[in-house]
Amino acid sequence: MSTATEALQARARALLESGEADLVIGYGQGTNPRTTTPVFVTKADDVGQLVLNPFCRNNLANWLTRKDLRGRFKRIAVVAKEPDIRAIIVLIQEEQVSRESVRVIGVRIDRPGDPESPCQVLPQTTLDELQKHLRESFQARDLTPEQLREVEELEKKTPAERWAFWRQQLDKCIRCHACRQACPMCYCDQCIATLNQPQWLDTSAHPQGNMAWNITRAFHLAGRCINCGECERACPVDIPLMLLNRFIARQVKAHFGFLAGYDTEDYQPFAAYKCDDSQDFIL
Amino acid sequence: MNTTILQAASLPALLDAIRARARLVAPARDGERIHFRPIASAAELVSHRDYINPRNSIKEFFFPRTEPLLRFDRAEAGIAVAPADTTFPPTVIFGCRPCDARSLLVMDPLWRWDYTDPFWFARRDATTVIAISCTRADEACFCTALGSAPNATDGADLLLTPLDDARYLVETLTPKGQAITSLAPDLFAPGTGDKQAPCKPAFDTLPPRLDLDRITAWLAANFESDRWAPWSYKCWGCGCCTFLCPTCHCFDIVDEGTYRRGQRRKNWDACQFPTFTLHASGHNPRPHQAARWRQRIEHKFNYYVQKFSVRSCVGCGRCIRHCPVNMNILAQLQQIASL
Repeated sequence: MSTATEALQARARALLESGEADLVIGYGQGTNPRTTTPVFVTKADDVGQLVLNPFCRNNLANWLTRKDLRGRFKRIAVVAKEPDIRAIIVLIQEEQVSRESVRVIGVRIDRPGDPESPCQVLPQTTLDELQKHLRESFQARDLTPEQLREVEELEKKTPAERWAFWRQQLDKCIRCHACRQACPMCYCDQCIATLNQPQWLDTSAHPQGNMAWNITRAFHLAGRCINCGECERACPVDIPLMLLNRFIARQVKAHFGFLAGYDTEDYQPFAAYKCDDSQDFIL
Repeated sequence: MNTTILQAASLPALLDAIRARARLVAPARDGERIHFRPIASAAELVSHRDYINPRNSIKEFFFPRTEPLLRFDRAEAGIAVAPADTTFPPTVIFGCRPCDARSLLVMDPLWRWDYTDPFWFARRDATTVIAISCTRADEACFCTALGSAPNATDGADLLLTPLDDARYLVETLTPKGQAITSLAPDLFAPGTGDKQAPCKPAFDTLPPRLDLDRITAWLAANFESDRWAPWSYKCWGCGCCTFLCPTCHCFDIVDEGTYRRGQRRKNWDACQFPTFTLHASGHNPRPHQAARWRQRIEHKFNYYVQKFSVRSCVGCGRCIRHCPVNMNILAQLQQIASL
């Protein structure tokens, strides 16, 4: 067993034994050595199920808003990679999760998917310490050079070229909604895609329905996406969803100076009003 | 059984002969994704050695993601309704695995249950299926657990088993298969071969047969089991499994368009979506994921068996391979079999 896994299991055991948590959501071994799967540990004796390795992929913050879990467990501890901690921060800002009800076991995976990548349990144990860690040591490496290059290439295209690109990509969409279910920020009880009285978005997988769904989804994540990449990883037809999300995140950064999920005390650009806000877009 | 030998080098010539007469659907590569789609030339074909199973199943070529059922136009004189055309071009699906071919036989009784679906059967009639036996399997494959095999013939019109890199053993199984070999009779030499040996690596990887009757009996008796909740905590309720599944067949009918004109369409739906069972009253008889995951297992391994005497699963492994949270239906079945 790796030292990272040992440290994780010890942290989980302490939380369960002390009663600080009645559920630990973490990663267990998946169907092959390069897969992990979420596991739900309620007894200290079962912490042996937990692993920490470069194949820990899911953003487990996604389960913090699950009603069946919230109904059953009151103090949930969640294993969270650095981007996933950003998700928890946004969930707290948006009052979906209370600070008091969640314990964060912060972990760092330097190169996700690379078997040789270092992994560690972060020493910080409180949310305030973890937020400070994110701002001071994660923010600068959040977007990889490759990700930045891809989004800059997209920005260089003309609107017509971008439209053609997305037409082609979104044509693949089969509307399985894996992107929505994968997203920790997609917690709406009534998603616009499922409202059917009236039907706001066509459910057919044709260009109009696909465009309406994917654009609505991306817009709803403006200033909220925390770059975990789960939607793109979940997509069974390989639509580069994160390219769209990162494109919008860069726009939000440029216009509002805002990056989501780094400070629970921060205001959210699309959920706040300031007297000196520009009004020139109002007709 | 009529067997012949096809040289691998002759495959492009066969595909060209097919292409001249029919739409050809085969595994092709788009980016990193290998998936079934119509191909314009043999050069687009991905070798069977490069995939275990393509990303999508062949289901969509019989039951598409979105199918127009009728068109309506509203005018001063009244509403004009035009039913969709149910004549389809001759199509040949090349390179699917025996599990996908078998899925057609699993689905046939459903589509003629209390109504004969013209779309499904018109496409079935127009389509020829050329399957290729699996020479390897991965940890998600489990056809053998359901009593099938990586070189099974069910549902295929022709089955090709690669004897080595240079030759295929060809089993001609139906008149439609015969029609394909007749397109280029010179390419098919009389001969036979051992179809077990090339598939041994697949057999060695595949799991043993499950006690399916025991599983069905447990499911029939344990609808209310407390186990369903912890079994489904990690399922986040997307449609990835059902949409990639060759035997999931649930659909929704919608009217789309404007006030003046539009289409009635049949769209794939998924039992994993909350709205799948949401009543107009607001009541939802499957209010949480445990009930929806239970439905998936009960439907495939209990209800479908009661109705059609066959399991609605062929062990293709797509739902395991591509599940974003690694839900594992095989492990679930093994667990139930052990109870």
